[in-house]
Amino acid sequence: MQETISAILAKAQPELAALKTRAEFEAAKARYVGPNGEFTALMKQMGTVPKEQRPAIGKLFNEAKAQLQAQLDATVERIAAAEIAAQLGPAVDPTLPSPDAGPGTMHPLTQVREEMCRILRKAGFTVADGPEVETEYYCFDALNTPADHPARAEQDTFYFPESAKFGNIARKVPGEKYLLRTHTSSVQIRTMLKGEPPIRIVSPGRVYRRDTTDATHSANFHQLECLYVDKGVTVRDLKALLDYIFASLLGKDTKTRFRPHYFGYTEPSFEVDLSAKHLPKVNKEWIEIGGCGMVDPSVFEAVGYDPEVWTGYAFGMGLERLAMLVYGIDDIRYFYQNDVRFLKQFA
Amino acid sequence: MKISLNWLKQYVNLDGVSTDELKRAITFLGFEVEGVASTGLPPLQNVVVGEILTRTKIPNLKKDISLCTVDVGAANGGVRSIVCGAPNCDAGNRVPVALPGAVLPSGFQIALRKTYGHESQGMMCAPDELGLSGDHAGLLLLPAATPIGQPINEAVPGGDTVFDLEITPNRPDALSHIGIARELAAWFRKEVSYPAIKFNGETHGVRPDILTDIKVEAPKDCPLYIGIAISGVKVGPSPAWMQERLKAIGLRPINNLVDVGNYVMLELGQPLHVFDSKKIGGRKIVIRHAHDGEKLVTLDAKERVLNSRMLVIADEVKPLVVAGIMGGADAGVDETTTDIVLEAAYFRPQCVRWTSKKLGLASDSSYRFERGVDPHSTLEAAQRAVDLLLETAGGTVVGPSFKVGGEVPWQREIVVTPAYINEKLGFEIPADEQRAALEALDLVITHEEPTEKRGPAWTVIIPSYRADLDRPIDLVEEVLRVYGTEKVPAAPAIGPALVDAEDAPAVVFNRKVTDYLVGQHFHECVNYTLRSAKELKTWVSDTAVQELGLLNPFVEEQSHLRPTLVLGLLESLKLNQSRGNHVARLCETGRVFMEINGTVHECAGVGFIIAENPKARAWLVREQPDFYAVKRHMEILAAEAGIDLAAQPLVPVTGAYWGWQEGHAVAAGEMKAGWTARFGLLNLAMVRAAGVEGKVWAGMFALLSGNLTADTTRRRYQNFSLQPAALRDLALVVDVARHAQEVRQQLLRVARAAAGTAFAVESIEVFDVYQGAGLPEGKKSVAYALSFRSAERTLTDDEVNAVFAKIQQEIVADGSVTVRA
Repeated sequence: MQETISAILAKAQPELAALKTRAEFEAAKARYVGPNGEFTALMKQMGTVPKEQRPAIGKLFNEAKAQLQAQLDATVERIAAAEIAAQLGPAVDPTLPSPDAGPGTMHPLTQVREEMCRILRKAGFTVADGPEVETEYYCFDALNTPADHPARAEQDTFYFPESAKFGNIARKVPGEKYLLRTHTSSVQIRTMLKGEPPIRIVSPGRVYRRDTTDATHSANFHQLECLYVDKGVTVRDLKALLDYIFASLLGKDTKTRFRPHYFGYTEPSFEVDLSAKHLPKVNKEWIEIGGCGMVDPSVFEAVGYDPEVWTGYAFGMGLERLAMLVYGIDDIRYFYQNDVRFLKQFA
Repeated sequence: MKISLNWLKQYVNLDGVSTDELKRAITFLGFEVEGVASTGLPPLQNVVVGEILTRTKIPNLKKDISLCTVDVGAANGGVRSIVCGAPNCDAGNRVPVALPGAVLPSGFQIALRKTYGHESQGMMCAPDELGLSGDHAGLLLLPAATPIGQPINEAVPGGDTVFDLEITPNRPDALSHIGIARELAAWFRKEVSYPAIKFNGETHGVRPDILTDIKVEAPKDCPLYIGIAISGVKVGPSPAWMQERLKAIGLRPINNLVDVGNYVMLELGQPLHVFDSKKIGGRKIVIRHAHDGEKLVTLDAKERVLNSRMLVIADEVKPLVVAGIMGGADAGVDETTTDIVLEAAYFRPQCVRWTSKKLGLASDSSYRFERGVDPHSTLEAAQRAVDLLLETAGGTVVGPSFKVGGEVPWQREIVVTPAYINEKLGFEIPADEQRAALEALDLVITHEEPTEKRGPAWTVIIPSYRADLDRPIDLVEEVLRVYGTEKVPAAPAIGPALVDAEDAPAVVFNRKVTDYLVGQHFHECVNYTLRSAKELKTWVSDTAVQELGLLNPFVEEQSHLRPTLVLGLLESLKLNQSRGNHVARLCETGRVFMEINGTVHECAGVGFIIAENPKARAWLVREQPDFYAVKRHMEILAAEAGIDLAAQPLVPVTGAYWGWQEGHAVAAGEMKAGWTARFGLLNLAMVRAAGVEGKVWAGMFALLSGNLTADTTRRRYQNFSLQPAALRDLALVVDVARHAQEVRQQLLRVARAAAGTAFAVESIEVFDVYQGAGLPEGKKSVAYALSFRSAERTLTDDEVNAVFAKIQQEIVADGSVTVRA
């Protein structure tokens, strides 16, 4: 018996060591310890062993069984490890670059626009929207820019033929001409006509001028305008908001000043200058950044607000100009070329 | 508009005011200073008059260089030794000498220095070195009597400073030297001295051979016309002082008659015209509208075709002048002129502006008329011109003189309280300062009356030249202008406002889709809205091209509204490819314009392109983009607008338009529903023709932003099953053209009906598509994985099998589908 046990163990060892797959292992395991296995068959002969030999033989069996089980365990462990190794493949070279696409980038004009909207949101302004194709009423008439005003001249404004039909832009005055808005102030009119004061809106958007494209001009560009309508709004409030905006955007050392100016839809009207000693390119002197003023009573009349009750301010600036200032860009055309070497700089 | 400082000083005392202070004053009065140019000698320190005593040529030099002794006066160190290369450094000449310590306008600092082997104790200067105009041919030679040692600024007469100003359209009164003088006088609190008028309207005899009549036939467009006849003038150059002033602001002197006209216009802002009486047919002036098609050759030698909205100054038979704009080539004064008629008029601004635009003809005169001159100062300007004509050209004022119209007297008062002004400003300007500011502008407060709540009210008289002031709010600006807009104080931080509003839905949509695409490795682009007709023809129908066109494009390449963002993105892609930039993913948001049945809709648009880059090399090759990658992006973009794109019918793009590749692109949605989408592969031939390499996939989504609403739905939790799912696979054979999504919908309906309330059909997904051997021609097999689940229990095979059998039975009912065995 003892010889037989030793023979089985001696045979199992090289056989198990040669196994490669889990299936081979299961078959081999069945051959030894399965219901019809060699070792199992041997164990069944225990009954024939004389009683006095049983303790010794039993001990032998237990030792052999443990030995065989250890061999089987080691084998299955080895096969599992081999399987994982095969699944993993060779180690990676972590220093190689990823061939996948790099990060997307938001256009600098979008970034400045969104930053301004965030800054203004803190002051209670929400973003209003309006069409880029406008009618003369919203773009001019309601903004105290009468029919013979130079700003309405054909040479400065893109018009559409009289036959043009725009499905989702209604005319206010029958037969008035469609045009491409020259400023986002038309959104102010739409917002005031639709709602009731108090109003605090910012309207960023695309505007159009019939102009030559060069380093500082572009056939379309973007404006950002604010309108505040409430009781008792003053020139000082306007200055306070502009100070807050530019200090938030450009840093605490930024200063603003007003210069008297003229706009049909505000009275008094100002141009706003910036001084930002810490910004390169503009640290020498005041630079003009936008226009502003107190909403002209005639504009309130046009939208049916009582100018004796309501007051307000409005201001606007060019987003391109702002972005050029913030990033130090010196040519407006770069915004519209979309060279990725440009776009990636502001990610 | 150019303003000469010397000229300005005739009307307001600006002694001791530096150029910088003046520039600042003008700026803060509300006139932008676009340029400051100085002529003549700038202030120079340590530059004096010297006399050259001796000149000795320095030997052995290639160039002609001399060593001179120069007497610069005892106070400046007497005789100095100076090296000089100028050809005219001859003994006896008196010249400017820059002594050590002087800084020339170029920034060059003069010091003792050794040059060509000799110490030079200063430098003798040519005109350009002193900042005078151009000449570097030799030293500036001063008159022999110029005192030696005199500072150069005393020896050489000073120059002028010319400001180039931008005058806002509301201030036509500032389009003259008097106008600016008035403003500066207010700023510096000085008095304006107006030119004295001598001519009192007195005429000497009647000369019908010069002028018989003036008739205004168009009083609406010409409310005032003054004509004054002068006989016996002598044409010649205007006096030097007048020429100098005209030249300073860039006008070429012509002769005394023309120059006086220009001078008075620039002095007082009133354009004038001088007629040669012998060129006035019938000696009769008629102010009338032109006849349609009437022609006039203007002074610039161009023939102008006039029409009946245009006003002309005519004689009995022909037009002489386009009123207020430009004279005819044959009607002007010349050397033979002896008798003249001076015109001073007021023309309706709208008429002048319309005519000027229509003819494409503008002048200093039309510029002023179209902004509005002061009709109440017209006579004064005429009188001033008469004075200057008589002074510079001689002659006698003869009768008859005419003044037609202009009878409306000027009277305007504004009642305002200082309290109102402070209320609008939000800070306090004391009443006496307000009063001082108004009075400095000649806005006279005639009386003061108490009001109930706002303290005293002032009645302010508005001068006729300030027609822009009409309401109390206008005076707020006047007070603040003179007080100083720079002094608007800083205010405390702004409190948060309780305005109950949210960002517009279109803005929120835009933000979300941009965030998504940027997160998906896209570079956001910004392209022009306006594109060319030629380009549009590759994309939309001829009708659409027509409807999208502008009336008055500025350039041909930007004549039409864009119907898509893809064309711009393609252009950006091309630019990057041509510059050798590897770029695959570009996106853009912005308005696009969709033409449907002759009507254009302005839509919020979002578009993107994904380009294959045939030239890109990578150490590890990735899968190329494909249609289904684009489809997923489109579904997510549509979902941001609340649209379930997967549930929408897709129509394959066919035909020549649309720029898409047939068989590889689809359209969904319609304007009636408020949105459209197109996506897939761009037409390869079009892409190649556009100069782009490789395949380009694109997606374009457009919607009527008015249809967007803020999504305020608060999501509610829904219970989900913790029981295991039962799975079954089903392959269906359908026509090749049949949409998998449609079959899926059909299957879903059938499956739900079969399962009834027993358990849920949780999902049905395509997992395989097959076409070819074993299937009939024109058929494809689409395999769906069905998942069933109960909320309460583990499903048994039997109950699932029963439902699955029923599904297989029902799905073939309409004959369009068979079950693949």
